[in-house]
Amino acid sequence: MTGNFKPTELMVIRCAQEIIDGEVVFAGVGLPLLVIGFAMATHAKNIILFTEGGSIRATPPPGLAITVDDPALFCKGDGTFGMLATMAALQRGEVDVAFIGGAQIDKYGNINSTGVGNWNKPETFTYFAGSGGASDMAACGKRILAIIPQDPKRFVERVDYLSAPGFLDGPGARERLDMQGNGPSVVVSTMGVYKFDSHTKEMYLSEYFPGQSVEKIRANCSFDLDVAHDVKETEEPSEDELTILRDLDPTSFYLS
Amino acid sequence: MSVDKRMTLKEAVSKFILEGDTLYYGGFQIMVPMALTYEIIRQRKKHLNILSTSTDAGGLDLLVAAGCIDEMHLAWAMNWCARAPHAIQRAFQDGELKRHDISNFGATGALMAGYLGVPFFPVRGNIGTDVVKYNSADVRIIDDPFTGKPITVVRAWRADVALIHAQRADHLGNVVAWGTHGNGDQHGAMGSKRGVIVTAEEIVDPEMVRSDPDRTLIPYYKTLAVVPCPWGAHPSACRGFYGLDVRFAQYQGKYMKKKEIVPHFLNEWIYGVKDHKAYIQKYVNTFGQEALERLKPILGFKPQMEVDYGYHDPNIWEGVPPYTDMHIRG
Repeated sequence: MTGNFKPTELMVIRCAQEIIDGEVVFAGVGLPLLVIGFAMATHAKNIILFTEGGSIRATPPPGLAITVDDPALFCKGDGTFGMLATMAALQRGEVDVAFIGGAQIDKYGNINSTGVGNWNKPETFTYFAGSGGASDMAACGKRILAIIPQDPKRFVERVDYLSAPGFLDGPGARERLDMQGNGPSVVVSTMGVYKFDSHTKEMYLSEYFPGQSVEKIRANCSFDLDVAHDVKETEEPSEDELTILRDLDPTSFYLS
Repeated sequence: MSVDKRMTLKEAVSKFILEGDTLYYGGFQIMVPMALTYEIIRQRKKHLNILSTSTDAGGLDLLVAAGCIDEMHLAWAMNWCARAPHAIQRAFQDGELKRHDISNFGATGALMAGYLGVPFFPVRGNIGTDVVKYNSADVRIIDDPFTGKPITVVRAWRADVALIHAQRADHLGNVVAWGTHGNGDQHGAMGSKRGVIVTAEEIVDPEMVRSDPDRTLIPYYKTLAVVPCPWGAHPSACRGFYGLDVRFAQYQGKYMKKKEIVPHFLNEWIYGVKDHKAYIQKYVNTFGQEALERLKPILGFKPQMEVDYGYHDPNIWEGVPPYTDMHIRG
C-alpha cells in the first residue's frame, strides 16, 4: 500500500466493485465509461455494456471511449443498434445497472446534470450539457449507481434542477409515478461511498476513503448526513489495480 | 428518377435553409454536420430553431455564438473536449436563447413520432423530473388509457429540413452510413417536412448503393441536396474516415470560453474561409499536415461475413403441379 493515488482513481476502482460479473450495465458519458473499462479488465469480464449511442458489446472496446457514441465502442462490437435499441431495453426492464454521473445530488439521490442556479431566472442559471439519458436511465434501470465528485455545492439539500429521479421526495414517490427501476443504490464520491436507507430512502455514508474522515465528509456535504453505525474505511487500491486503470487512460483524459 | 442533387455547400444552404426554419441537427458525438454548421454561420442565417437528441463537438455552441439560433429542443449539447457549452450558457443567461430540455429517449421518441406520423409518443423517462415542469411544449404526463397509470408522452418533432453527415451518398440522394446508428438521424431525416441536406465523404454510383441496400440510411426521395464534402464532420469524427479532433475541439472551446475573443474564431475559421475545402487547407497550414494525418483511424476492421442478397425467382413454379395428398383431395 502506497497511498500514492488520486481520489478520482480510488473513486473509479471502488465504483467498479459495485458491478457484478454478468450484469447488463448502461453507462453514461464521462467517468462511467472508464469504470466499465476497468471492471471489464478485472473482475467483471462478462458484463454487457450498453451506451446511449446504441453500442451493445460483450467485450472491452479496443481503446478508451471518450464519448458514448465513440467509434471505439462500435469497433468489434456486438451491434451498432442506435439509441432507440438501448433505451428500449432500459424501458423493457433489461438493464441491471444504470450508471450515471452528475453535477449535484441530494439526500434522496436525485441528480442534476442540467445546470445550477434558478432556471426561472435565466441570468442566474449556468447550463451544463443537459440531462442527456440520465433521466431515462434513472427511471428504468433496476438499480442506479452514481459517481459524483464531492464538495458542498454538489452534495446539496435540494438539487437546483432535477434531471434524473432518485427517490424524489421520499418513500412511495417512485411507485406513484409507476417507475420501472428500484432507484439509487450506491453513490461513490471522491471522498466516500453512500447507500440508501430502505425505509426513509435517505442517503447515508457507508465508507470513507483513506485520508478522509466522517467529519471532513460532513463538512463537504450541505445536508445533514446520516452515517452508518459500522462506517468503515475503504480499502486502498493495489498497485496492480492502479496500473490497469492508468493503462486504460494513458493521457489522463478522465483521470486528470 | 434521375435527378442529380449534387451541389455545393453554399448552394445547398442558401437554397434550402430559410430564416426561421426548424432544423433537425444530426450526428451525436460523431458524424456531426460541422461543414453545414460553418456554412450556416457563413451565410448568417438567423432565427433558427433546433431539434436534436444530443450533440457534441461544439457545433451548436458555435451556431449560438454566431447568433443563428433562437431556440433549441434537445437533451444534451456540449463541446465535451472543452467540458462546457460556453456560448450556450451565456446566451441563455442573456435571454438570447430559449432552451426546451428533454431526455435523450424523450428526444428519440419525439423524432420517432415525427417519423411515424403520429402526434405524440409515450416514453418512460422524464417523469418525476423538472423537465416536465419547465418543458410542457414537448413533454406531458397523461394517464395510460389502458391501465390508468401515469406515463410521459412527448410531442412529435418534425423539422423543416434535416442536416446530416454521412460516409457516402449517390447523386440521387441515397444516403449510406455505417458503424454507429447514433440516435436519431434516420427518424429526424425521414420525419422532416421539406427534406434532407446531406454532406458526404464520398459520392458513389447508385448501383453501388443498390448492391447493399441494408446500409441505406435515407432513401433518395427524402433528399434535397447532396454535398460532396470530405472532412465534413471535422472536428467531430466520421467512422472509418477520421477520429474526433480532441485538440481542435479544445482549441475552439478556449475561444468560446471568453465572449470577447469569440469573434476572432468566427472571423478566422468561418467568415474568413470561402468553403469547407479552404477551411481544411487553413487547418493544414496552421497545424501542419501531420495534424490531419493524426486523425486517420486504425483501419482493417472490415466485415468478415460475405453477404448475398440473392432472391428466389417465382418462375420456377411454372409447370410444377400443385402439391396435394389424400386429405386435401378428400
